[in-house]
Amino acid sequence: MSISGLGPHGERAAPPERVSLLPEDGAAAKARGFRVAVVLHTLDSDWAQQLLSGMVGTFGDCGTAVTHVIDCAFSPDAQVRALDSLLAQRPDAVISLPVANEEVALAHARLAEAGIKLVLLDNAPTGLLPGRHYGTLVSADNFGLGKIAAQGLSAHLPQGAEVGLMGYAADFFATNERELAFAKWLRAHRPDVTIRQDSFGRIDEAARRTEAMLVAYPDLAGLFVVWDTPALKVAEVLRRQLRQIPIATVDLGEEVAIGLAQGSPFVVIAAQQPYLQGVAAAQTTILTLLGRPTPGWIALSGIAVTRENVVESYQRIWRRPAPQSVLHAVGLIR
Amino acid sequence: MPDGLTTTQTAARGKGRPKVADTAAPSLVELLNLIRAADPTTRQELERKSELGRAVVADRLTMLADLGLIDESETGTATGGRAPRLVRLAARRGRILVATLDQTALGVGVADLAGNLLTEHHEEFELNAPPEMLADRLTTLLRWSLDRQSSPAGLWGISLSVPGTVPGTEGDFLTRTPPAVPAWEGFPLVEQLTRSFGAPVWMRSSVDTMTMGELHAGAGQALSSMLFVKIGRRIGAGIVSEGRLYRGAQGATGLIGALPVHLGDRTGTLDTMAGSDMVLREGRHVAESGRSAYLADHLRRGGEITALDVAQAAQMGDEACTEILTTSGRLIGQVVATLTNTLNPELIVLSGAIVQTNDIMLAAVREAVYGASHPLVTRDLRIIRSQMGSSAGLVGAARAAAELLFAPTFLKDWVMQGSPLNHPGFIAFRGSLDLAPPPPPQSPPPRKGAP
Repeated sequence: MSISGLGPHGERAAPPERVSLLPEDGAAAKARGFRVAVVLHTLDSDWAQQLLSGMVGTFGDCGTAVTHVIDCAFSPDAQVRALDSLLAQRPDAVISLPVANEEVALAHARLAEAGIKLVLLDNAPTGLLPGRHYGTLVSADNFGLGKIAAQGLSAHLPQGAEVGLMGYAADFFATNERELAFAKWLRAHRPDVTIRQDSFGRIDEAARRTEAMLVAYPDLAGLFVVWDTPALKVAEVLRRQLRQIPIATVDLGEEVAIGLAQGSPFVVIAAQQPYLQGVAAAQTTILTLLGRPTPGWIALSGIAVTRENVVESYQRIWRRPAPQSVLHAVGLIR
Repeated sequence: MPDGLTTTQTAARGKGRPKVADTAAPSLVELLNLIRAADPTTRQELERKSELGRAVVADRLTMLADLGLIDESETGTATGGRAPRLVRLAARRGRILVATLDQTALGVGVADLAGNLLTEHHEEFELNAPPEMLADRLTTLLRWSLDRQSSPAGLWGISLSVPGTVPGTEGDFLTRTPPAVPAWEGFPLVEQLTRSFGAPVWMRSSVDTMTMGELHAGAGQALSSMLFVKIGRRIGAGIVSEGRLYRGAQGATGLIGALPVHLGDRTGTLDTMAGSDMVLREGRHVAESGRSAYLADHLRRGGEITALDVAQAAQMGDEACTEILTTSGRLIGQVVATLTNTLNPELIVLSGAIVQTNDIMLAAVREAVYGASHPLVTRDLRIIRSQMGSSAGLVGAARAAAELLFAPTFLKDWVMQGSPLNHPGFIAFRGSLDLAPPPPPQSPPPRKGAP
């Protein structure tokens, strides 16, 4: 395992193997019949569905009921309401992906105060501490994902190029790490490249911000968008403007995989492993509920996906065959 | 600040009569620090604690509110009559940039004036790198952190947490870079940061800042006595007595890593016999000899062994690595036991990547401390791992800066101006930096707008 980043409190990553379940753990969990709630930023993405799949299946193996799966639609207010409503439901544990920093910190702390075990995904609001407010943060190595994107995009950049970095305006651990790592890698390895930066607050803003960026910097020779759903909006802008600019992004969603297989506009994807992340989060939750010690931060390494390995990467990440259009684009079927 | 407070009143005042600004400053300083100490409080409490008259307190609070330093918009709980107005420090009026510079990592964050951390980021960085590289990355990350917080609050200071003792920190703020790290010899880090950000800079040892962080936001909250032990290449201790960090005569307290310890017929300092360099050295040895199956496998796959790998292997049950960490933990525990018998703390907090990665070292320290301490000392003693990690250093750096910003000797010279950036001494220092030749260009040159 090679993890580039540090955790939200400077922790060194523990590998997901640290939370492997022994047969007796599964048996103990079945005997206790735990109830768990899941609170996500969205359910409307391939990543979220795959994460849930890994999580729910593992809980099923351990006789643990998933009683709530809540979609917060990226809204801090909705998440605060969801977490507060769970206080009354009193599940044994909540797995939550905090959608913001300060706005949702207290609502998460209230769960811990009420004795409900908390496992976080991808983001730890500032001030919340492992072992005190939450058990473990389970995330991808987001710093590593940013490096993969920079390295992959670099091969497509001419000398002295200008690159657009389309970040996420929210103060969010995962996207902050990707953004910082992307710029750091280019700065160290491609000092000739100039980075032009902007950010979107909502996914539907990504297109407008990209249009503005293209007006301000008409010579952009590459783009990095911090995850795939907004990256599709960016790609749509380029298609409308008949611009051929290579894009790097994070997460191998289906549409992005098709673009990658076709060789344009996506040239490299830094892929997370949501299914395995879901498994690790569920295993961590079971161990936490059984009173076993768990590390403060578990990180899963990213996968560099290019046109050359898009089919096997797709199968590895999504646990299903690649779409026909991908297979066709890379010449594996006629 | 409203100009009327100084200029208009000065013009209207008779000759020989003291200015309000001159007479008000001491009571403003006192009240502001009473508010900080009991945030939130009420006017009645302030009158009682300050022993100032009601009219004076009312007048000074109006001045502090006009200067934007306090907030009285909330009301408390009524206990019979009308609900009292709560008086709070306007903690979001200014921001403090904080950074921890560790041997192998760099952390940055933004805090409010009460020392609460608002955002943070940590990444790997070798402190032995040339100081120009450090200054470049630090400046980039601090600038990025500020941009991340969409707040109109101005920057009031920069507080750095560095490994080792920081000599020469007397005075209100730093005007030169103390020789805290050998690699910085002659490098004007403080001057560069002051020039780039236009704010005063402070620096404290990482053991000091982490102890303060643990005391104010971690396991030490509300405790009056605590021992904090940081375990890395160097091993240091922070001492909290009567709710305050004990800093000694020169700020060089808790240098326990320099103490001699014995293991069989070998003698050395605690740093060399139990620090992370020893864990790494012994870990490589058991990997190469094959005594550690886990690390030997890691080597075969082309991996480089780190002290952290040894700690993780121990956690996974590797016998040889468990032995290494147990040895280290026992040696540290012996020294900590001496301090425990001397200081009788309520809590001992162990911190550092190795101890936070596994339970073995914690268990060994506990065994040694409980075995070698007086029963009265250990009766209610708790020995735990820090839950804050490197965040403790950032929180502690913020608390240190807040204490220095509002220290009476410094505050009295800026309180009437409403911001420490208008402190006459700081204005003069900035002026001297502007006159001084600029530092040599950094390589690679920083670019605008990118982290």
